[in-house]
This record gives sequence, structure tokens and C-alpha cells, in this order.
Amino acid sequence: MKSWKADELLEQLQEDVRSLIVQGKRLMHHEPAHLLQQPAPGGWSVAQVLTHLNAYSRYYHREMEKSLQKNKPARVTFKPGWLGNYFTNMMLPGAGGEVRNKMKAPKGYRPDPLPDAKEVVQEFLQHQQHLLQLLEKARGKNIGALRIPVSIAPLIRLKLGDTFRFLIAHEQRHFIQVHRILKQLGAGKQPAAA
Amino acid sequence: MFDSCLSTTACLQYFYWMNELDVLRDFIVKAYPLPAEALDALCTAWQPISCKRKTVLTAAGETEKYLYFVLEGVQRAFFLDDKKEATIVFTYPPSFAGVADSFLTQTPSLFFFETLTQSRMLRTSYRQMEELMEQYPEIQKMILHLTGFILKGVLLRQMELQCFSAEEKFRSLLRRSPHVLQLISHKYLASYLGVDASTFSKLLGTVKL
Repeated sequence: MKSWKADELLEQLQEDVRSLIVQGKRLMHHEPAHLLQQPAPGGWSVAQVLTHLNAYSRYYHREMEKSLQKNKPARVTFKPGWLGNYFTNMMLPGAGGEVRNKMKAPKGYRPDPLPDAKEVVQEFLQHQQHLLQLLEKARGKNIGALRIPVSIAPLIRLKLGDTFRFLIAHEQRHFIQVHRILKQLGAGKQPAAA
Repeated sequence: MFDSCLSTTACLQYFYWMNELDVLRDFIVKAYPLPAEALDALCTAWQPISCKRKTVLTAAGETEKYLYFVLEGVQRAFFLDDKKEATIVFTYPPSFAGVADSFLTQTPSLFFFETLTQSRMLRTSYRQMEELMEQYPEIQKMILHLTGFILKGVLLRQMELQCFSAEEKFRSLLRRSPHVLQLISHKYLASYLGVDASTFSKLLGTVKL
């Protein structure tokens, strides 16, 4: 099984989160009504996707913050767990950036249909800044020994390193969905990316 | 014993690594006359990194940890808020890179720093630079000297942004750095000048240089 140098993995994940911040900030350039528009009946709006991600961030960041207070000094190498790999691979998009298997969000993680779009994006961005800090703190800890209970099955505990991988892959997956939704809506008034 | 300690690949890697440091050394020698000892110390403080295009190395809100030296590729620092996106500066070889103000002041960056093309760079941390400056006052003088010239460039650009028309900004950019037209995507050049993409391509078609 592939293993990483822990600090290289954390750095890679930080790059992924920074890229999510850029994409998230660009969403603010859209009209709120646009972000609330469902691409098809029953399909999620961009704001709903972000509400869903925010619910995960709230739970996992709190648990990660708790676990990072424990005294487990850093190790050079991180070996992922099989379950962590399984969850992460399930989330990761294919090589062409497409989402492979459709999934259904578990109960409690299905979003309200009409959230305040700008607030939702703001909250998303705050979570990502927090996640960058968590990844930075994790450089000083053993991300293979610290464990985080899975939100929908608290008896299952993932390695902290795997939880980061899984959580960020989940966000990347949903950002592919976000771009698809915006494309379906005809991108409306998106200013030229500069 | 000889063949067990240096494989061919290790030799090659060492060779490239030396070459990369030579590029840095050469750049510094031309920029500021450092005594040999300080120059040697400064050149040992760097680690190589490679990244794919569109890698975000610093996010707004983070404090810049590194000073980069570009060996290959193009990067930009840009501003992005709820309404606007603006390219503040481009970097390409050979030059230093990163969010300079955040690095020097160790305060949160207003800007993102990203690679536009696949990039190869050397980098050193603030901690390392701080120690070097403490140990070798000449290095501190060099940083002051370089920062002064960077400030000169920044203020010149500030004047141009406030006083120049789109066409004048376009001419001035191409007089100073004609190669950027080949190097950098026009949408980013437009963003750097603060004109929209269509104005930029119109200027490209009409302005005789």
C-alpha cells in the first residue's frame, strides 16, 4: 500500500484546500439568485451543495481540533488505513475529472432548499481557512496515530491523515458538481476570469 | 565502495542540483556584491520544489512562509474578493518570487500566489532568512537593496495605473517586457493592466510598437 512522507501529504492537501478557496471565492462573483437556482427539479443548487459541505466541515473540524490537542509527536511516514483508502477512493473523481459513482447524501446531511447563498459561501470559505490551519497544526502530530470518529458511524474511527484526505476529496468531488451546475445554468453573469 | 555510494541517478541528480544552485548564485552575484562566505551560506539555505500548473502555493489569509527563486515556469500573485480579481505581479526565471510583503512582514497575505505553468523553483523559509541576516549583516543589506528596487518598480506601476490610458499602459508593458506576450496568457496580461480581455486584444491588433 502506498505510503507518504507525512509533511509532503499535508502540503499536497494544503495546496488542494487553497485551490478550493480560490474556487469558492469566485462563486461570490455570481448573483445570489444564481447560486440558489436548481439545475433541474430535485437537483441541488450550488448553495445547497455548499450547505452540505459546511455540515461536514462543522463536524469534522471540531473533532480534528479536539484530536490535535493530544500529545502525539509527528512521524516521518504516514501509512493510510484500508478503510481510509476505501473512503477516499470512493470520493475521488476519475482521471478526466468526472464523477464516477453517484451517491446519496445520508440523512442529516441533506441541505435546506433555500439557504442565504452569500452566507453559505462565506461559511464555506471560513471552514477552508480553518482547515488550512488544522493541516498546519497536524505537521507537528502523528497523523497515523490520532483517530477521528466517522460522522455517520462514530464507532468507526479513521486515522487523522485519512480523515483529511477523505474530507478534502469529498469537497473536490462536490466542486466538480458545482462547476457542472453552473454550466447547466449557462454560467449567467460570470465575469471573465482574470 | 565507490560504486555503492553513488549510483548514476544520484550523480545526475547531484549534477542538476548543482546547476540549479549555480543559476541562483549567478543571479545573486549580479544583483549584489556579497563576500564569498556570506554568498556560500546564503546558497546552502534552499530546497528545490516542482509543481504542476495552477498550484496555489499561498492563499490570502495565510502568512507567506517562503521566499522562492524561479528556475522554470511562470507564476502570479493575484487579488480576489467578492467582486474582483486582479493580477498584481508575474514572476518568471530568473527572479525571486512569492508574496514579498507578507514574507518580509510575516503578516497575513492579501494575495494568492499560484503557478500558471509547470514550475521548478528553489525556496527558503523566513526562519532561515532571519538567521542568515542575523549572522551576515551583508545579507541584510542585500535584502534592503533588493527591496528598495522592488519598491521602485511597484511605485512606477502605481503611477502608471493611475495616470496612463489603456493604450499607454499596454505600450509601457511591452516596452519594458516584450517577451511576456509569448510567455503569459493574454487574459492574465489584461488583468495585470486592469483592462478587459476584449480591450487587450483590440490593443494587440491596433497598436504599432
